Amino acid sequence: MASIDAGFQLKEGVHKSTKKSKNILRRMPTRVILYAILILGSIVSLFPYWIALVTSLKPSRLLYVGASWSFPTSPTLQNYSQALTQYAFPSFLLHTIIFAVIATAGQLIFSTFAAYAFARMEFPGRETIFWLYLATLMVPNIVTLIPLFILMRMLGWVNTYFGLAGPYVLGTPYGIFLMRQFFRSIPQDLESSARIEGAGTFGVLRLIILPLSRPIFATLAITTFVSAWNNFLWPLIITNTTDLRVLTVAIAAFQSNYGAQWNLMMAATFIALGPLLVLFFLFQKHIVRSIQLSGFK
Amino acid sequence: MGHLQRGTRNPAEKKEIQIDRSSPDNLSGSPAPATEVRAFTRARSHIGFRLPGFRLRTITEAYLFLLPSFIGLVVFLLLPIIAIAVLSLFNWGLISPPEFIGLENYNTLIHSQVVWHSLFVTICYVLLNIPSQTILALLLALLMNRKLPGIKIFRVIFVIPWMATPVAMGIVWQWILGPQYGSLNTFLALFGIHGPAWLSSLGWALPSVAAVNVWQYVGYSMLFFLAGLQGIPEYLYEAARIDGATPVRTFFQITLPLLNPTLFFVLVTNIIGSFQIFDTVFVMTQGGPEQNTNTLNFMIYREAFQYFHTGYAAALAMLLFVIIAFITLLQALYFRKRTVYDLS
Repeated sequence: MASIDAGFQLKEGVHKSTKKSKNILRRMPTRVILYAILILGSIVSLFPYWIALVTSLKPSRLLYVGASWSFPTSPTLQNYSQALTQYAFPSFLLHTIIFAVIATAGQLIFSTFAAYAFARMEFPGRETIFWLYLATLMVPNIVTLIPLFILMRMLGWVNTYFGLAGPYVLGTPYGIFLMRQFFRSIPQDLESSARIEGAGTFGVLRLIILPLSRPIFATLAITTFVSAWNNFLWPLIITNTTDLRVLTVAIAAFQSNYGAQWNLMMAATFIALGPLLVLFFLFQKHIVRSIQLSGFK
Repeated sequence: MGHLQRGTRNPAEKKEIQIDRSSPDNLSGSPAPATEVRAFTRARSHIGFRLPGFRLRTITEAYLFLLPSFIGLVVFLLLPIIAIAVLSLFNWGLISPPEFIGLENYNTLIHSQVVWHSLFVTICYVLLNIPSQTILALLLALLMNRKLPGIKIFRVIFVIPWMATPVAMGIVWQWILGPQYGSLNTFLALFGIHGPAWLSSLGWALPSVAAVNVWQYVGYSMLFFLAGLQGIPEYLYEAARIDGATPVRTFFQITLPLLNPTLFFVLVTNIIGSFQIFDTVFVMTQGGPEQNTNTLNFMIYREAFQYFHTGYAAALAMLLFVIIAFITLLQALYFRKRTVYDLS
């Protein structure tokens, strides 16, 4: 069938218009099926968010009334107010934000410098060191986190921001990789002309690279921020009091106490999920791009 | 020589910097003699500047730029790897001093039923997770690659799960998979199907955890495949069409081979991630029921931070590391024969 279609497309004139309308008619069922699949996929993708939202708005007495996915007949914000006033979720939010900001700032600063060195500077060992960075991606987290915990313990950094953000503040290999790919796509002529005019490396960075790199900075900032926000294992290990507790650990702890009160639990989870949704809609263009950029080796 | 304009942020203005053509060093209309060209190219390779000592200065600069990040790499990634290897030779409960026991941890591990079961669970999990996630992502990418109107909205929607906090989502899924009031069982009941207690069932717990993970990362993998698909030139498909190739044949003989780099990247990163599943297990099943979701990573966490058998946990961590490295190596070898790599 396909080759016959191709054959007809090669011919011009009358045949084309009649074939086209017949093609549309024949394509209709296929299109309907395709859209059906897409809509089904969308429902599956969004359903957990919907159920979390809807359940979090239900007062306890309505929790088991009707279908679990139904919007409550009398929605209430009392679950949220309970989470935010009775349990220290505002402080958990704050700790999470501070941690995420430190990790993001560190990533943007230090990975940029390193990435520029890899992308544009020539120095002995450049390729070897870069491969070393890449190789660490193979190492499971837990392998580094156990000794790091012992180290933090010896330094007295358990339950401190030093301990929590320390392993992340100097950037990660992923950030370097992303930035390096981007820097290499900047035409070297721009830098060359700046150099000829007498600009030093800092000049080139400040006047050429930085202004052009705003998109990638946005992308890297979002990815690092979200990664820190979602981080569970390390905060779980390094904090054991509520002084510095972040949202992920707070939710897990919450679950062990109030697990059966699903409406309350859903409010707690939505406090963690909600801000990320907002971030997503604000920056979805950058997020989609970051995923595609990191795929190109 | 012209002067750089300080304080301008507009990159477009930068392009107006004129290359000084009055100097005999720069190429002008007529071709320069060979010696000049060689000197010029050498200068260009040092980013156009020929002061003596420049090369040493660039190298120092490069190392300085690299330094903070490299310190991070050494202290937080490389040294811990060595530390873990050393730690695995000790018995250390953190309260008392460490006690050297040589390879005894490894001996215990080899003879432990729990460890073998955990390995089995981990491998089952990876086998449940990766093929379904990869195939689904690939199919969706093929679907997304068509020029259907409104396709961009769906592309965005499918990526939303990727950003969900795994811990939070684990709890939401726990609610969805609840035995009596969970949405899934309520939905199935509409068709007369009596759904099991997904997370407390011996047989269904692990697939449920795998399914949650697939849900979260399918959109993410799909985007990679989509990018890969869009890199395949259209004329190849047309040629196949004219030759009369069926869509299936086109897929296996043109699309899939050209997707190999993307497939390699997606598989390697997903498998590495898959071996390290933690958040959803912690929140949804805590390794149960009866250790049926006790993946190796979760077991290591428990040994290290709940029982404080740090030496034993270190040995287990080394095991996990070796497994991941081995599988990654296998994949690299498999794909190396099939792909031409441009790592420039």
